Amino acid sequence: MQDSSLSSYSPKPADFIPLTKQLDKHGISRPSLSYWQDAWIRLKKNKRAISSLYLIIGLLAFTLIGPLLWSINPNLQDLDAISQGPSFSKQALIVETPANWGGVTIDNFPSQPSPNFSGLLSSTEQIEIVGQATTQYVRLSWQPVEGASAYLIYRNDHIPESPEDLGLPLGQTLAGNQVSFEDRLQLNAQAYYYTIIATDGFNEASTFTTQQVDLTLAISARQADLRNIDVEVGATVSLPGHPFGTDYLGRDMLARTMYGARVSLFIGIIAPFIFVLFGTLYGGLAGYLGGSMDNYMMRVADFVIALPFLLFMILFKVSFGIGPGENGIIPMMLALILLAWPGTARVVRGQVLLIREADYIQAARLLGANTFYLLYRHIIPNAMGPILVTLTFAVPMAIFTEAFLSFIGMGVAPPTASWGSMSNQGIRNMLSSPHELFFPALFISITVLAFNLLGDGLRDALDTRMRGNE
Amino acid sequence: MLLEVKNLKKYFTISRHQHLHAVDDLSFSIGEKEVLGLVGESGSGKTTLGKTLIGIHDKTAGEVFFKGQQLPDSYTKNDFQRQAKDIQIIFQDPYNSLNSRMTAQEIIAEGLLIRDKSNLAEVKDKVAYWLHQVGLSPDYMSRYPHEFSGGQRQRIGIARALIVEPKFVVCDEPISALDVSVQAQIVQLLDKLKDSMGLTLLFIAHDLSMVRYVSDRMAVMYLGSLIEIGPSNDVYFDPKHPYTKALIASNPEPDPKYEREHETPLIKGEIPSPINLKPGCRFIGRCPMVEARCREETPALREIGENRQVACHLI
Repeated sequence: MQDSSLSSYSPKPADFIPLTKQLDKHGISRPSLSYWQDAWIRLKKNKRAISSLYLIIGLLAFTLIGPLLWSINPNLQDLDAISQGPSFSKQALIVETPANWGGVTIDNFPSQPSPNFSGLLSSTEQIEIVGQATTQYVRLSWQPVEGASAYLIYRNDHIPESPEDLGLPLGQTLAGNQVSFEDRLQLNAQAYYYTIIATDGFNEASTFTTQQVDLTLAISARQADLRNIDVEVGATVSLPGHPFGTDYLGRDMLARTMYGARVSLFIGIIAPFIFVLFGTLYGGLAGYLGGSMDNYMMRVADFVIALPFLLFMILFKVSFGIGPGENGIIPMMLALILLAWPGTARVVRGQVLLIREADYIQAARLLGANTFYLLYRHIIPNAMGPILVTLTFAVPMAIFTEAFLSFIGMGVAPPTASWGSMSNQGIRNMLSSPHELFFPALFISITVLAFNLLGDGLRDALDTRMRGNE
Repeated sequence: MLLEVKNLKKYFTISRHQHLHAVDDLSFSIGEKEVLGLVGESGSGKTTLGKTLIGIHDKTAGEVFFKGQQLPDSYTKNDFQRQAKDIQIIFQDPYNSLNSRMTAQEIIAEGLLIRDKSNLAEVKDKVAYWLHQVGLSPDYMSRYPHEFSGGQRQRIGIARALIVEPKFVVCDEPISALDVSVQAQIVQLLDKLKDSMGLTLLFIAHDLSMVRYVSDRMAVMYLGSLIEIGPSNDVYFDPKHPYTKALIASNPEPDPKYEREHETPLIKGEIPSPINLKPGCRFIGRCPMVEARCREETPALREIGENRQVACHLI
């Protein structure tokens, strides 16, 4: 039925629609990238710049989040643990806060020397450790020697091999019947070898007796209080270690480095932001106005560049009534902001002069654009790249200036930590405890390097000449 | 006459006593839907003339009338806004004339959006239409200038100028930064658009044969002043002024046989400094037929035939 109707149908011209020519060709295309997208892609290819970016983010986390995790007071002094190298968490005993120890005096024994001085403590067992030997104190007493007028006490970290190898002379007793000694001199949790030598006031005995003492790490009840450890005397607690060691006042270097980063980064980021902003406005205005106004404004900038920074920093400090050794962050920032902007102003002025003469600006003016439109649409977007690069180079400059000024003692005042002041203190103990200089110096170097490499990468990524030629 | 220029001067101040005479006492006019070709060697003031006419440079002296109305000597923002629908420019350098931070759509739509931001959909349609008009695919709308070739960029520049439908367009050497095959395309495009839109053009170039092809009349500039003006073919094939003769003779001859048989008199030397000019003919230093009179009197443009004017004492 259907077949027959189809076969009997004769086609009419109206049944046919002319085929329209297929105009759409298959093309290879990729999405267009805006200037910033393109710059970001090129920055991502730059491994040094990206690892620097991660380093800077890590550094910000270190200084902002770090103190939450590492909750040690950076200004807490621990005179029992000064200039200690890096160490990890330790078990410590809590002992009574050491009081004065009367010592052991034998009443029925002559205190004055006598001719029958034998010079020999009879045996090692005669040296007795009173109480528990901890890092808080070591108390020793011994059997008296016939005819002695005093006893000399030495401490060594290995077994003495000869009378010349007794180690550190700790002191001496004042009488022949005073047979005890308390050692509180910078004790570490290790084995010490105490040697007692009797003397009759003229000669030291030629023989000596040595006692090994193993010390337990302990903190006093008072120190436990300061650290907010609420445990009974005699208990054992776990003390946080010092991954970066301690400084010359026993303060934790890790905590100080974290807090020191705050000062360094505060100055290193706030000051450049302000002076780059000011320099941008100033240079932009000079470039936009042009002519003699530009000339006058840039001569002012030249004048400011010629002013000596250090002199002004000191002048500000004096005129603010800040004495030596007091906190100089505000005059430092003021001097940085007042004296560092002309560099940015020059860069931005050059850019604006270049952009202002570009044909697309003239085209926009002919199309009726007003000044605001020109600034917002053409000049600022085109000048943004160099401004950003100036900013990333200004940050390490400011950080380094802060570190330098704190290093020479013009910056932050104790006990505030900053990398510069920590280095300054560290350099005094550089030979005996190099970690005190190493860590702050390392952080200054890494930060300055990271910002410089990032700035380098940004400059390459934002350079329009590099666009499109991969 | 659409545009009339009377005694236009543009001096640039170099120092208190030194002025650069970029455009010195020019008078000419351009008729409705006419193309005036402006030729001259580098430094003769062609571009300055074009930019002074439309207000990018302030005028030192003289008057410019557009449709009988005098244009301001020094432009303000409002003057530009009033003029935007009438007068536009196409720039020489296609790399410097587009903002690299904007897409083709944003660049072309600029003239419409500055005036009225309300109807974005219509603006987009118009941009697509104009991309098509200048021979680019509307797919290119969201691309950035660095993704285009020089010729394509110049097409975008043309679309930007023409989207506001101006009456008069200054083409400031629109082809001299392009390679030869692209030059022909751009000239043909301008020719087509001129006819379809009824444009009046001031076509600045230094390629004489190209100018002859595009323009109805041709004006020759030397050191800031007009020395010859007349119908293109007349000036090209029968130059009167010795400078025009030399300029046309210096045009490369495609036939080597002809080239060998006819020695071309090339102009010697370079264009003199346009700073603090002395009276007398501008061309005396390089003119092969200079006379005593040429050194004392500055020749003015005078009529020598139908529609032709020459500034020379000896013709």
